[in-house]
Amino acid sequence: MSWRTLRVAVPFVAAVAVAALPFVVSDTFLLKVFTYVGINVVVVVGLALLFGYAGQVSLGHSAFVGIGAYTCALATVRMHAPWPVAFAAAGIVAGAGGMVLALPSLRLRGHYLAMATLAFGELASLAFGEATPITGGVDGFSGIPFPSLGPLVIRSASGLYWLVWAVAGIALLIASSMVSLRPGRAMRALHGSELGAQACGVDVVGVKVRAFVISAVLAGLAGALYASVIGFISPSVFTVSASVTFLAMAVIGGTGSLAGPVLAAALLTLLTYLDALIPGISRQAAQTVQSLQADVYGLAIILVVLFAPGGIGAMWRRKSREGERA
Amino acid sequence: MSLLSVSNVTKRFGGLTAVDDVSFEVHTGTIKALIGPNGAGKSTLFNVITGFERMDTGSVVFGGSEIAQAKPRQVVRSGMARTFQNTQLFDSMTARENVMVGSQARQATGFAASAFRLPSARAEERVASDDAGRLLRMIGIHDWADTLASDLPAGIRRLVEIARALATQPKLLLLDEPAAGLNNTETHELVDTLYRVRDSGITVLVVEHDMGLVMEVSDEIVVLDRGRKIAEGPPRLIQKDPVVIAAYLGEEAVEDD
Repeated sequence: MSWRTLRVAVPFVAAVAVAALPFVVSDTFLLKVFTYVGINVVVVVGLALLFGYAGQVSLGHSAFVGIGAYTCALATVRMHAPWPVAFAAAGIVAGAGGMVLALPSLRLRGHYLAMATLAFGELASLAFGEATPITGGVDGFSGIPFPSLGPLVIRSASGLYWLVWAVAGIALLIASSMVSLRPGRAMRALHGSELGAQACGVDVVGVKVRAFVISAVLAGLAGALYASVIGFISPSVFTVSASVTFLAMAVIGGTGSLAGPVLAAALLTLLTYLDALIPGISRQAAQTVQSLQADVYGLAIILVVLFAPGGIGAMWRRKSREGERA
Repeated sequence: MSLLSVSNVTKRFGGLTAVDDVSFEVHTGTIKALIGPNGAGKSTLFNVITGFERMDTGSVVFGGSEIAQAKPRQVVRSGMARTFQNTQLFDSMTARENVMVGSQARQATGFAASAFRLPSARAEERVASDDAGRLLRMIGIHDWADTLASDLPAGIRRLVEIARALATQPKLLLLDEPAAGLNNTETHELVDTLYRVRDSGITVLVVEHDMGLVMEVSDEIVVLDRGRKIAEGPPRLIQKDPVVIAAYLGEEAVEDD
């Protein structure tokens, strides 16, 4: 099979496999695990645009997931808003937050931008815990209703799975269209050389702000999905270490690629639920792996940066280039 | 007719006056060269003209409008494109994609239109790709179209950057040391390219150290030394100008130490 056919066939087969999974897997917990994978994919698609294409680091993305989750919770529980409205609001409020975080990115680069976004994430995390009247504080926010579209309430494990993956699929389609056209080139140009991009008339400020806002909107929507699927949220979920995990997925997945980060998101998320995936594995072995999670992410990032800069995405591109030439 | 007129431009960095009260004009359809010893202020002047640096005093009028306060993006849109002394290509993109970025300023497809793959977005994509192919062919580097910029030899990188600048459809093309790092054959190809560019109606302003190239291609030369304009005129007069010779000899004497 040629690389050209592979490039069409692989996403198609993957989409069919993802859609068909609930027919094959009957275990509810396992379906939930794959639902979490889908939620993380939504976040990572946004980060892939921001980091992998536009070259802007964010160590604060769990803040946007949190903003989306709390917005959805408040809108549905306190304001009794219909779920689609709450879902949209989560994206909009998180997007506004993204615009705020875009401001330092206009002046800061590299490590300094990473520090600024880290501070933003830490502040948001503190705010979720301290603003008790609004967020329920450290005890969390419970009783968030299941997603519903009019009279249709989605509460079954397979229904939630399909909803989440539908959002992930749409996010991926939109993102892949963007990156293949003018905005994608503008983002990659910005990543490659800011001077060169300016000399080509690229609106550097506009592209950076848009990349931040789009990735924040996606993180916010993922947060709304998370809140509605679980029904309970607390500040302990939206921490800096969660942001690091998201960034790890984007880094390992690679720059200039969407498929790579999606694959990395799936692998790293599944790593957390090793005991659900491998039936025979002892509880202790699973716990050992989980306790080493942070170390594994850190090691993976270092290995990628040292031996495979560009991550999974770049490896795939290199192979497919060689494949085409052969 | 004067396409660009630079009047009394001064740029200081702290106590250093990098460009000191420089004035000159570039006439439509000509190739003008900006030369001078190292540190004469040529690149700074380029940056000031193209909006990458703010001048302290002076004025730059391009095609009848004042652009002294314009940002690089506005300068590009007004019809002026540039290359860099250290090529600023996008390494993860192919030569063709690099040139396609040059079409950005003339295109309208935003994030929203691209998200839904609107027909207008796809049509623009085809136009940009065709334009890029045409420019790469005109410059004679079409064989490299699908090579990643990071894999291109230095000489080809310079030419890709010129093609990218041309993709903005400029009236004036500013080249910052286009021959640096080129071998003899490549320099000859560059000369041909410059003539082709000029013959297609684009005015050229070039900073260059290669005196052979400068004397061959330019209609007029401006000589800078320590930020000041010390001479201006056609190549045959500049070659004989005692002030210019002194400036260059002075530099060599210092370098020999």
